[in-house]
Amino acid sequence: MRPEHWLFTIPLRMRSLFRRAQADQELDDELRDHLEQATEQYVAKGMAPGEAQRRARLDLGGIEQTKEHCRDTRRVNRIQDLMQDLHFGLRLLRKNPGFTSIAVLTLALAIGANTAIFSAVYAVLIKPLPFKNADRMVFILKKNAARGWSRNPIAPAEILAWRNQTEAFEDFAAYTESSCVLTGAGEADEDPCETITSNLFPLLGVAPYRGRSFTSEEDKAGVPRAVILSYGLWQRRFGGDENLIGRSITVNGESHAVVGVMPANLSHLYASPYGSVPGMWVSGIGLAAEHTSNDYFGIARLKPGATLAQASMQMDTVSMGLEKVYPDLHGWRAQLMSFRTNSSAATRPALLVLIAATTFVLLIACANIANLLLARGAGRANEFAIRSALGASQGRLVWQLLTESGTVCFAGGIIGVLLASGLCKGLAALAPDTLLRAAPDLTAGTANVRVLGFAMLTLIATTFLFGLAPALQSAKPKVIERLKEAGRSSLQSPQSRRFRSALVVSEIALALVLLVGAGLMVRTLAELIHVNLGFNPKNILTLRAPLSGDRYKEPRSRAQIWEHVVASVEALPGVEAASVSRGLPITGWSGQYFTTADNPNPPAGQVPDANYVIVGPDYFRTMQIPLRRGRGFNDHDAQSAERVVIVNEKLARTSWPGQDPLGKQLRVGDDAPWLSVIGVAGDVLSQGADGGIHSEMYVPVGQYPWVQGPQHLVVRTSASVKPESLIRAVVEQIHRIDKDVPVTDVETMEQITLESIAQQRMVMALLVSFAGLALGLSTLGIYSVLSYSTAQRTREIGVRMALGAERGRVLRLVVGGGVGLAGLGLAIGIGAALLLTRLMTDLLYGVPATDPLTFVGVSAVLGASSILACYVPARRATKIDPMVALRYE
Amino acid sequence: MSKPSDLVQGTLDMLLLKSLALEPMNGFAVSQRLKQVSGDVLQVSDGSLYPALHKLEQEGWITAEWKTSEHGRRAKYYSLTRLGRRQLEKEADNWARLSSAISRVIKIKEA
Repeated sequence: MRPEHWLFTIPLRMRSLFRRAQADQELDDELRDHLEQATEQYVAKGMAPGEAQRRARLDLGGIEQTKEHCRDTRRVNRIQDLMQDLHFGLRLLRKNPGFTSIAVLTLALAIGANTAIFSAVYAVLIKPLPFKNADRMVFILKKNAARGWSRNPIAPAEILAWRNQTEAFEDFAAYTESSCVLTGAGEADEDPCETITSNLFPLLGVAPYRGRSFTSEEDKAGVPRAVILSYGLWQRRFGGDENLIGRSITVNGESHAVVGVMPANLSHLYASPYGSVPGMWVSGIGLAAEHTSNDYFGIARLKPGATLAQASMQMDTVSMGLEKVYPDLHGWRAQLMSFRTNSSAATRPALLVLIAATTFVLLIACANIANLLLARGAGRANEFAIRSALGASQGRLVWQLLTESGTVCFAGGIIGVLLASGLCKGLAALAPDTLLRAAPDLTAGTANVRVLGFAMLTLIATTFLFGLAPALQSAKPKVIERLKEAGRSSLQSPQSRRFRSALVVSEIALALVLLVGAGLMVRTLAELIHVNLGFNPKNILTLRAPLSGDRYKEPRSRAQIWEHVVASVEALPGVEAASVSRGLPITGWSGQYFTTADNPNPPAGQVPDANYVIVGPDYFRTMQIPLRRGRGFNDHDAQSAERVVIVNEKLARTSWPGQDPLGKQLRVGDDAPWLSVIGVAGDVLSQGADGGIHSEMYVPVGQYPWVQGPQHLVVRTSASVKPESLIRAVVEQIHRIDKDVPVTDVETMEQITLESIAQQRMVMALLVSFAGLALGLSTLGIYSVLSYSTAQRTREIGVRMALGAERGRVLRLVVGGGVGLAGLGLAIGIGAALLLTRLMTDLLYGVPATDPLTFVGVSAVLGASSILACYVPARRATKIDPMVALRYE
Repeated sequence: MSKPSDLVQGTLDMLLLKSLALEPMNGFAVSQRLKQVSGDVLQVSDGSLYPALHKLEQEGWITAEWKTSEHGRRAKYYSLTRLGRRQLEKEADNWARLSSAISRVIKIKEA
């Protein structure tokens, strides 16, 4: 339409919209005028007045229809109709509180769950990463195909070679993680920290909040150190002091100049399972080409147009040169990951499973409401027949029904979105750290525009999904039949019955898939909880107390203070044993290459490695790790005595298959002293409950191993004493000995074990709730369909019973119909589940995705509840009194 | 909306516009005029006449006014607008082209 045209039409539309009564009055007048004139004309032709009037009316073809057609030309009818339908719809909903509350509540739960999960999906998988050129940023790790390892940190030798000898990158930064202890004013503070190259922040495009980033001069080792604080630490420890920049603080016993403060909310950088959000960043990374320790991570930006594959190929060529010079690097190749992949790898499988699950719940909810609407629509057939006789078109009736279902949907949606923010908080409470770091908004429960947009789209889709089919079904103008039946409640058409049956079948199929998913997760968790950890996690308190500064430069001083601490903690009431270690089971891995005296020169790439754990004398007793052979450590294993080591069964088995490991020798590093194996300890799960068993070696604290010494204190309490109850007393003992030692990560071993399976726990809890909801909804669905069709068949059943059908037969007749539907649903569901559960293999442990026990079990549960749902209406059918039934209607 | 069966689709609009181009009229007069002029060939039912008039009004091609008729009764008189005149020219052109084309085809002599 041309703008000029609008000049005429807009006022007309406005008039129709806002002066509707007047417009209608004029329409009435106009038609009446016509009728009068037409009648006069017929009379003038000699017709009797009554007949003339009838002819005039007939010519007009139904006054009300003609009026409706005229109104239709006004184009604003949609809006008026909508208001009218809304009014009517709301009145109907108020009149049916049962239907309304079930429908609204079901939708609210489904949309709430969907929106909550989508918030997480959005944050982790969709939200644009807040970096300049985020699509060209890559995270650089390395992998070793021969050893089956991936996502390993990289070495300085590799960083420098990859940076200088490839063409694909615009810039290449690196960092290493450690922990930094802040001393000085107040209590000592330990925070995770990173030593970074000066180009890291410019590369990421993150500007400091205050001050500056590091200069390339500060990258060198040996120059005065500088530190950049995180916003959190700056606020927490320094109260956001603006004058801090330029001053010096003591980090790890050394003076560092504070040069800057970073903005808050950098946590998305640390969503990979390999990082914790640092409290500060330290300069002086001092990368040296001959260093091959795997402690670093790379972040680089590809040149425009360069691809990951090209970069990867160039880096592999460089690596092939490097491994000839440095045998330690043999077999390692760069592993490039886009930022998105890196930050979402840990949580992606879980999120996809969950969003699929909530979509299923939503579909089931839609099917259920569609079913209820169909039943209601059949009951309103007469209403629609009368309305279409009065000139309402089918489209008009469909719109009215859609408005009604839209009203339900809207109410459910609003409650759902409100619910979603609560559910987000619940999700945050269940979520593993990796998810929280990738989706920091989750904890706040604030919905953002996109999430709300998603909810709105879901709402609209839902309205059509559950509203359209029933509306089309019900609005079919079958005026004549309807009016002939005049008030008798009609039998539903075979078409509508088939449709309702299809809905029930799909509900059951979807519910089965969800139940199988939930069942598999329950089995996984049961496996994980009952897995033999190799030690007894009950009644153990652990904490970390890193020693730093001049006082603890000497290994002897470090060992001494630990002896002190252990002795005074052991003296506490309720403590059964205490020891120290560097490294705890479950929490991770500190791999070291070693060689054995039997095979001192293995070919490059086949050098064995093992988790290197430094332990105090009573470690095995405290953790209750069984000793299979030989002896444990004791106080005689001191610096002057023979160098000793305890290995786990796996190491003994792989290094000396079929031989007695006791007395064998191994060493860590080429010029290190040989260590004699004096004992074999039981295997412990060192990398989490689902992490499997790896080679491990334990060395005694007393022989001052070359790494920094112990950090962890482990305390076993007697069975009647809760380990948490001793936290204060233990920390007090440490601070009584040295008030500057920071104490962090105070946790019980059981907590640590639970955290390691947090993701599986979250997925299990959510899937079980969703599956429970699905079970309830689908049972309700089959129940409503059956009780409706039984009610419809009251007469038929009455006739059957009057003709002598027994109650048992009637029961079988009704139950049989429902069981048929349930059986079909189960069969389809099992097929679908076999296909779909494969997608959750990543989340499962100790149970195959096609676990027969789970499939049979959940089918039985769903089958049983369906039969129950059929039985209730069937019982009612047998109670029908034939006399009453035949008189009925 | 029901369509007059004998009328080529879309020509009702043109007929109404043309009728109103001659003089402003009320709905009844329009229906009478169509019957008279076409010699009862064009049977436009009254039931489709009014929706069609209202549609033209909503399009802005005709405009309505309440006037008192010669018989002293108040009636709704429709008249053509400037836009409507232009529309009529357009449709009349189209019609002329179409009908002359069709008659040329019809007049082809059979071999």
